[in-house]
Amino acid sequence: MEMLLMALCISVFGLGVAALAFGAVGRPDPAEPEFHPEVAVRPAIPARFFSDIVLPVKPHPPLVPIEVLLQQIENHVRLEQAAAESFVAFPTQALLHCKTTSALVN
Amino acid sequence: MDHELLNGLSPAEIEQVMALGARELVPSGSWLFRLGDPADRIFLLERGRIRLTLPMQLRGGDEEILIEENAPGQTVGWSALIPPHRFTLSARAPLETEVIALPRTALREFFERSPQVAYKMSFNLCIIVGHRLQLVQTMWLREMQRSVQLRSDAGAR
Repeated sequence: MEMLLMALCISVFGLGVAALAFGAVGRPDPAEPEFHPEVAVRPAIPARFFSDIVLPVKPHPPLVPIEVLLQQIENHVRLEQAAAESFVAFPTQALLHCKTTSALVN
Repeated sequence: MDHELLNGLSPAEIEQVMALGARELVPSGSWLFRLGDPADRIFLLERGRIRLTLPMQLRGGDEEILIEENAPGQTVGWSALIPPHRFTLSARAPLETEVIALPRTALREFFERSPQVAYKMSFNLCIIVGHRLQLVQTMWLREMQRSVQLRSDAGAR
């Protein structure tokens, strides 16, 4: 009987120690900074991979002066109107889809 | 001068219609009317040219783009006879131009007194408006065809 009581006491004591140890592990350490995913330190990766390879720069077509662009639009409208006049005078699918010589679209 | 709006009218009828209007001189570079203005007069071109334009946004600014250029004998400003009586284009004279301005109210009163003239002029107006519609729908289809072609060409690349 005494042996049984001693074993029970040891078991209860052991259970208490285990619970304390588990609690200590689960509790956050106040000295440890909180984890913020957005401010997590990023590994020091170079800004560019293969920085020694220079990508070819696509040259932008030079902007035509606005007066030239307006003149191109006006010529385009006149050509398209002439094409439309031809179609309306004699409607055929070929005339509807005939190509234009307009510099605006060629 | 033969005016498209007056086709089929007798000389006496033409004289009656002309008597309703007033000759106006539009100096070179001046506006005859602007987009959105109330349209209370229709104009018969006697001399010069009228450029019909619409504003297009180009490089952050508005630029007037030519839609149609009218020559003597042609009619501009038929919004005066069609509700809601607001001009849907702007009209400018690239050179000194002479027009006959026919007020809507005077024309309507005359039409009530002379239905045969009203019929002929309405018929002529149908031809003018119908022709414009046919041209615009053809030009629209051609531009749409080009846009679709550009998209499919870009997709194929």
